[in-house]
Amino acid sequence: MKQWATFARSWYLIDARMQPPGKIATMCAIRLQGKHKPIYHAISDVGDHVVVINTRHIAFSGNKWEQKVYSSHNQYPGGFKQVTAAQLHLKDPKAIMKLAVYGMLPRNLHRRTMMQRLHLFPEDDLPEDILQNLTEELPQPREVPRRLDQYTPEEQEAFPRLWTPPGDYRVK
Amino acid sequence: MAARCVLGSIWTSISGVRCMANSSNISPFQRITISPQLLFFGSVQNRGIRHVVEKKEGKTTVVSEKLAYLKCWFIIAHCFMIEGLTEDVPVGPQPPNPTAQCPIYRWNLQNKYNYTDVLLLSQFIRSDGGMLPRRVTGLCAQEHRKITICVQMAHRAGLLPKHKPPLPEGHIPKKPKPQLNRYLTRWSIDSVKPIYRTGLKWCKKRISVGHPALKDNVQYGKKILYLKH
Repeated sequence: MKQWATFARSWYLIDARMQPPGKIATMCAIRLQGKHKPIYHAISDVGDHVVVINTRHIAFSGNKWEQKVYSSHNQYPGGFKQVTAAQLHLKDPKAIMKLAVYGMLPRNLHRRTMMQRLHLFPEDDLPEDILQNLTEELPQPREVPRRLDQYTPEEQEAFPRLWTPPGDYRVK
Repeated sequence: MAARCVLGSIWTSISGVRCMANSSNISPFQRITISPQLLFFGSVQNRGIRHVVEKKEGKTTVVSEKLAYLKCWFIIAHCFMIEGLTEDVPVGPQPPNPTAQCPIYRWNLQNKYNYTDVLLLSQFIRSDGGMLPRRVTGLCAQEHRKITICVQMAHRAGLLPKHKPPLPEGHIPKKPKPQLNRYLTRWSIDSVKPIYRTGLKWCKKRISVGHPALKDNVQYGKKILYLKH
């Protein structure tokens, strides 16, 4: 029974809301290869399934939405296409995550099977059979900062005022 | 005006929180819980905030008869009486370094704030999101620039949703803009062009993240601050 438990293929869930796709992709790639298990070996198929939700709400740091370019060539003359991350995301919200994970997996024939074990969903809703299979949810890599309206008024008041406005200045 | 207490106490919560924050990545400001007892300690140079209040007084028949021979603007000026009321602000905790000029140096926050510390940044902005002038806030030049940069990054990250400029009435947005989440954006969104040719490894065109003005910030944790991704 213990042997069944060690060699079983588990299903992991990752929420990609407000997370950088690269960090999510590293977590996915490690678990798809099976490198998080002490019984890992490249030949033996020890990878797990990974389900990523909310890929539409991914957050890029810096100006990557405008600057990062995804290029492809369909081998016809004049078939070189370059698309910014923003345009690609609007066209297909799962594409950025998929390309990120694909680039992090080892370049061998196992890569395609590992990509088949990766399940991406743009929003929260999952089909029933996947929901039943899930075993563990992984913590988010990036700590999401709180917005100003998410602080309670007591917390906002408890924060000390750093400066006092001079005499006749009209505040805001 | 507020009464001045003689007690001067050092605000130990900052140093206490710093020890706590060393073990985690949460910025210290999100952990501050000031007990209500502290509000009575310390003497802060406290002046009430001056609010401009407009009071409308109804036109009395007596007044209008008396002033009937005067010009119109005089009557209008009498109807709307403008008063300045000074509100009493409750005494807050004392800064640990009260002799400094800049408020950030007074509270020893030189390299400790980031774009996520919205409670700090919201004290230096107007209601439509713009920065308050330096001569009013009393910030020194470098800290004013750093705070401006952090405020811009916070706006682009969507952390200040209520501080948007007022749209003119009847303004219909042409197309709904794509809501893309971002953080640590250095440049303005429309000003940046895509990098079509990134170059080889030795001459790669990197994407800039964060801002070099904030490079001296204290890093809680082993990770180094990467400005070029």
